[in-house]
Amino acid sequence: MALGCNHQLPRTNVRLECLLMLAERAVERIPSLALSPGKIVGLEGPAGWGLTRLGLSLLAAPSQVGTVVTIDARGGWLSPLAAWEVGVKPGRLVMVRCADRRLWGQVTAAILEGVAAVYAEVPAGVGEHELRRLAALTRARKAGLALRPLRGQLPAGITHLRINGRGVSWEGADQGHGRLLERRLALEVSGKSLPWQAFDLGA
Amino acid sequence: MRTLCVWFPEWPLMVLDGTGPGYVYEEGHAAGGETQRVAAVNAQASKLGVAKGMGRRAAEALCPIAESKPRDFGIETRLFEPMLIALEDLIPRVEVVEPGLVLVAVEGALRYYGGEDVLVAKVESIAGPKARIGSADGPFAARWAAITAAEGSQVIDNDIAFLASLDISAVGREEMIDTFRWLGLNTLGALAGLPREAVASRFGDEGLWAHHLASGEDRSINPRTIPPHLAVEAHYDDPLENLDQVAFSARALSARLMNGLRKEGLAPYRVEIEAESGMGKVRTRVWRSTDPFLEPTLTERVWWQLRAWIEQEGVAGGLVRLRLDPSDLSGAGRQLALLEAVGEGWEGYDSTRPEAERALARAQALVGPDAVLQAGRQGGRMPAEQVRWFRFGEEPGQLERDLEAPWPGATPGPAPSLVPPQPTPIDIEWDEGMPTRIRLGSRWEPVLNWAGPWRLLGRWWRGEGAGDRYQIVTSAGAFLIVTDGERSFLAAIYD
Repeated sequence: MALGCNHQLPRTNVRLECLLMLAERAVERIPSLALSPGKIVGLEGPAGWGLTRLGLSLLAAPSQVGTVVTIDARGGWLSPLAAWEVGVKPGRLVMVRCADRRLWGQVTAAILEGVAAVYAEVPAGVGEHELRRLAALTRARKAGLALRPLRGQLPAGITHLRINGRGVSWEGADQGHGRLLERRLALEVSGKSLPWQAFDLGA
Repeated sequence: MRTLCVWFPEWPLMVLDGTGPGYVYEEGHAAGGETQRVAAVNAQASKLGVAKGMGRRAAEALCPIAESKPRDFGIETRLFEPMLIALEDLIPRVEVVEPGLVLVAVEGALRYYGGEDVLVAKVESIAGPKARIGSADGPFAARWAAITAAEGSQVIDNDIAFLASLDISAVGREEMIDTFRWLGLNTLGALAGLPREAVASRFGDEGLWAHHLASGEDRSINPRTIPPHLAVEAHYDDPLENLDQVAFSARALSARLMNGLRKEGLAPYRVEIEAESGMGKVRTRVWRSTDPFLEPTLTERVWWQLRAWIEQEGVAGGLVRLRLDPSDLSGAGRQLALLEAVGEGWEGYDSTRPEAERALARAQALVGPDAVLQAGRQGGRMPAEQVRWFRFGEEPGQLERDLEAPWPGATPGPAPSLVPPQPTPIDIEWDEGMPTRIRLGSRWEPVLNWAGPWRLLGRWWRGEGAGDRYQIVTSAGAFLIVTDGERSFLAAIYD
């Protein structure tokens, strides 16, 4: 099946509408989505639209060279199974649970001080100033940070790249037959770090 | 080993131009407060209410006429160099912690000068009235002896008794200190009185280190030596004569040193910088750090030192050789190597950073050890069963379910990314055994498609009943549902 987007992109604030298959392929196909040292990526959209798996897949590359951490603000829902499946090294993955918004900033800051990359769910009620400080710390410590707000949106100007879920569809399940096989995500990507080039995501 | 600390609390103020009230601030990147904090304050500004540690904005509000400048370690190091040379004439092998703060092992000097009082008096005569001098059996106690010396000097005969009275904040790890206070541990003596195993179990390596400090067992200033082949040296056929060239070379050589050490799983607490001029003059200086050096912090110190030499007296004939000799092996570095990078990879990642364990230990102190976890795979039919959790820093326990055993009827992939700790009740409407609608929060979503059921036989010997699993697809995503015929439970979200 042909998947695709082929857009001539402006130099900044790129908006990209595309359909992607399983989340891990998103980073393969659009390297600009990848986390790099000092980069902050925002993932916005409701649970079920594939953003958690996409966020975990961003940790796969940094886990090859250092410790990566997930911060679970849902009370223990994040599963390492998906992280391993998208290529995160099991021995380098540490999963921290912190749903208390008063502690969340401190915990995330403490972790950013020492690890390669963090995928952090942001609990509702975390202040904008706290997110900006974490962004500054991420840049200073040359860590990678993927932020996944559980409610609402991230304030403007924090992320280098913002990935918004726009929808999801599944293939494989068929009225009681088959099983979940393949997912197509509709994502809207905007940010300054996308290169000025056309993406061709034909299957 | 007997250690002397010489501390000039007002050294950062050397960058101020005027004689009126003034203070120096430094940048931070704490995620919980103001980022610019007052690092040193002169007497006039102090009288007006400005205090060390205060946010810069608060200081400006209290004393708007005060001269304020950012801390400049380069200038401080250059101005400090003559003082170091004078101290080294008295006692060799002075180690610089930062401009204005030095530690030196004085066993030999005590014998040579005939006693501690004589030695301290000689140091006082060189350092002048603004210096604080502390002498104790270890660097940590010596430093705190200098900090708490009311005037001039303080000689500590019994480190443990002295440390016992110090406030718990002396261990210097903010998050852990809050927890210590919450537990009623307000002095180092109270901390030292706890069983070491209990502190290590609750606070990890950080706590263990704090317990060592509180017990007067900090790092010896007599360092263990790293194998000599790990020292790095660069020769410059064209002598380096300008600061830009020197800065570039300092950075490159620091990176080479840290790359070599990283492969051995080492991080140094102490580095000797040796530079040779075109005229054959060799200079050395030892820098030490309370935390293991990282590439950026080492680069900074090498740069400050070379700049100080160049700006102070000049390097006649240019710089022809530079050598960095690390020592004082960091145990933390060895352990961290298990976690940290051993190869090349993530583009641009500075994998010399050895703080992962420390950062996670800090997180453990904040959220508790049960919330900082690692996981391993094990056998099972449901996603929740296939994960074996264990605390970070502890050994994985025994497998509850054999990974190698066949697990017929295991839930087919892909792996879901959200799995509730306990199956959560969820409302589903059925029509002749087929799911038609699923309730997500306050709204009902039509079921677009589904796969299953897959029969799940419960462990009857534990009272578990049988159930059926469905993968249900809606426009809001896909869900793994378990139903026992009467009630349905959400077992995973394919997010």
